[in-house]
Amino acid sequence: MVVRRTLVVVAAAAAALAAAAVSLALGAVDLPLSDVIDALTGSLGEGSTRQIVLELRLPRTVEAAAVGAALGVAGALLQGALGNPLASPDVIGVTGGAGFGAVLILIVFPGSIALLPVGALAFGLLAAGLVFAIAWVGPDAGGVGKLILAGIAVGALFGAGTTAVLTAYPDRVQSAIFFIAGGLSSDGWRELEIVWPYFAVGFVAAICLMRPLDRLALGDDVAASLGVRPRLIRLIAGVGAAFLAAAAAAIAGLLGFLGLVVPHVVRLAGGTSSHTFVVPVSAISGAALLMAGDTLARTVKAPIELPVGPFMVALGVPLFLLLLRRAV
Amino acid sequence: MTAPALEARDVRVAIGSKEILRGADLTLEAGRLVAVVGPNGAGKSTLVRTVAGIQRRTSGEVRWMGQELGELRGRRLARIRAFVPQRSAVPDGVTVTDAVGIGRSVHVGPLQRPTRHDRDAVAAAIERVGVGEFADRKLTTLSGGELQRVQIAVALAQDAPVLMADEPTSHLDLGATVSVAKLLRSLAADGLAVLLVAHDLSLAAAVADTVVVMSGGRSVAAAPPSEALTAERLAEVWGVDASLQGSAGGRTALHVDWLETSGLGIPN
Amino acid sequence: MLAVAVAVAVMAPLAQAAPKRIVALTPFTANTLVGIGVKPVGIGQTLGGQKRLSKKLDGVRTLPLSHPNGPNMEQLARLNPGLVLSSPTWRKGAPTMRSLDIKVVMSDPDRIAGVAPEIRKIGKVVGRRKQARKLAASVKADIAAARKGIKSRPKVLVLLGVGRTPFAFLENSWGGDLVSEAGGDLLTAGLDEPGGFARISDEQVLKEDPDVIIAVPHADEDDIPGITKYMRDNPIWKVTKAGQNDRIYISNDNSLLQASTDTGKVIRSVRSRFLKN
Repeated sequence: MVVRRTLVVVAAAAAALAAAAVSLALGAVDLPLSDVIDALTGSLGEGSTRQIVLELRLPRTVEAAAVGAALGVAGALLQGALGNPLASPDVIGVTGGAGFGAVLILIVFPGSIALLPVGALAFGLLAAGLVFAIAWVGPDAGGVGKLILAGIAVGALFGAGTTAVLTAYPDRVQSAIFFIAGGLSSDGWRELEIVWPYFAVGFVAAICLMRPLDRLALGDDVAASLGVRPRLIRLIAGVGAAFLAAAAAAIAGLLGFLGLVVPHVVRLAGGTSSHTFVVPVSAISGAALLMAGDTLARTVKAPIELPVGPFMVALGVPLFLLLLRRAV
Repeated sequence: MTAPALEARDVRVAIGSKEILRGADLTLEAGRLVAVVGPNGAGKSTLVRTVAGIQRRTSGEVRWMGQELGELRGRRLARIRAFVPQRSAVPDGVTVTDAVGIGRSVHVGPLQRPTRHDRDAVAAAIERVGVGEFADRKLTTLSGGELQRVQIAVALAQDAPVLMADEPTSHLDLGATVSVAKLLRSLAADGLAVLLVAHDLSLAAAVADTVVVMSGGRSVAAAPPSEALTAERLAEVWGVDASLQGSAGGRTALHVDWLETSGLGIPN
Repeated sequence: MLAVAVAVAVMAPLAQAAPKRIVALTPFTANTLVGIGVKPVGIGQTLGGQKRLSKKLDGVRTLPLSHPNGPNMEQLARLNPGLVLSSPTWRKGAPTMRSLDIKVVMSDPDRIAGVAPEIRKIGKVVGRRKQARKLAASVKADIAAARKGIKSRPKVLVLLGVGRTPFAFLENSWGGDLVSEAGGDLLTAGLDEPGGFARISDEQVLKEDPDVIIAVPHADEDDIPGITKYMRDNPIWKVTKAGQNDRIYISNDNSLLQASTDTGKVIRSVRSRFLKN
């Protein structure tokens, strides 16, 4: 059992390293591998090669890794906290809120375009905040069913808001499409500088929650009798997931699929739901998947960049189905 | 005589405007098995959950090992009493060892890893309930009876002197019920204070040293089975014409006039 | 007598073919109509950018347009038009219009070279062939004059929209073709995607190192300063020749987005404001 888990960890880490290497080595412009390595080690002089490697590919690779890891962890946290295999960042309303915030700026206030990640982040967190506020009052406060229903309702609310904005400004719709389809941009380090604290908070919360989440496995009653506070844990997990997902959406648009499927793939591969395994491996696997998908999106039809969503699905779903078949 | 593990007096619980417990008493002692019985809605589960600290009480005195319940938080309480709820989640991807490890976690600090001692305790709990051959099996592959025993192992791994089980046999078949009954009785013999909420009166009478009868939110009797479950009490609390018959060796039988035909000359 | 009969026989269908009440949904078709002496009974709202409609259209009923059908069909029916000059953007509404017994003709040139033929086509449809030929010829001449004396062909990147991931105009888009004809060497030369736009890798931009970057955002006047600053602060563009020489421009009218009859003027404007050639 432990052997299997170790194998999975090693495989995921290897995949992530390989994906990172490929992401740095490949792009719209053909660069010799030796030049790429020289640029990374600082022994290449000024020039477009250096710029491409250090200011385009490197931040983009780091972003892909961070966003992929964040979404994988957010999904793992939510699935563990809600005890529901369909849980993902979409379910707590973050994706809908972030989408609305981004579209609001892109379309209604394009003069404030520099604030795009802030808008997506703010509305993503606002949506999650609304979901928690609704789910935590009244009877069955903090219960799983209530949380999921509140998430669906708030997500629908912001989704409708997004549609309304798009309908009101039909000639500006194109600006919003890429965000909605989900994709990374080559913005250098600009956006990462804004959102990294949110990633940090989310990852720290995730690390602290790994063991407590395991203790929720047998139900709230058992957890309560053990002195664990299931509702508090659920709240912290929700907040952590919200931070991770909102920050991810702020720089990479709406990529909900990752958060839903990656933890499942990890669980199926490792044969265990233990969070001390699932959370870190979801981070590594999510990073690997998004780096790989983004590299494909950048190179398949170079110099044209395609949205990353379809490539992630193309990579992730067959693996998922394969594991699913074996798992029964 | 040692101090009782649990002493609860005049416990009252109201949820909203509804009074569920209107003054119930309960005492648990090491090495003795107490069965709590009563009709549906009498407050059996509520009483047990309240004294266990899971349900908030409106008033009443509850002392564990002499300490007020309100002063015992989380882990400290978990090391005194283990609670097996009526229904536990059966999650995917969790093995028997993982599950019992969850019970053991009350002894593992937040930044610590389980020690050799903890692992041994988990293995011992698994063996004690007799599911040693399933240690690496997933919970989802076990039968109802096996799952129930695993839940008891989870509680045992807490190493607490008190074990409370809320209707552990209600959904089990006869064979599984018997094996759980034997297990609980032997745990009491080992020195644990065991509490069992039971539906089945003949089971309660067979395994319990003391039977507590609940009716309408009050505890109306706390005595050995033959005194607590007299025909009069059965008629008064359950409204049935029945009598309990016990013989040496723990063999009990509940005789019930199911169709209430006595007086009509129809043989039963 | 025979001559009269023949004249009537020829003129009658022509008279039938010239509808009296015409609705023009795009600025190109509306301006073309007044350019050949026909006043439409209704025009489409100008989407995106500033209005560049002929003064002669002042007072003509404006119909709001929305995706995907174009005008509200009830409002359109109220105007009782015999003909609607539409564009492929609103093709989904065409069947409905036809079911209302309205003739629908699509006219939206997507290249400079298509302007003159489309003007002539409109003239034919509304029975003003002669005037249309004259207008087409003058527009063609104006375009040719606007393209005279191109001194340099700077490398140009033209972008649509705002946001972190703008779309680049390709050669097969109106704006791309126009800038190209104005003497710009499109960075996206050689690419051909349906729709005329594509997201271009920033690596390619760095490698190609454009001399000029023109952005066409979807925005109002007041948004321009914010957008301009954002674009000029883009760390990738900053290091290109365009960034270094402060040649990142914002084009806020819709002249690069859709065809117009004053194409020559637009070419001159692009040359003087952006390409400086």
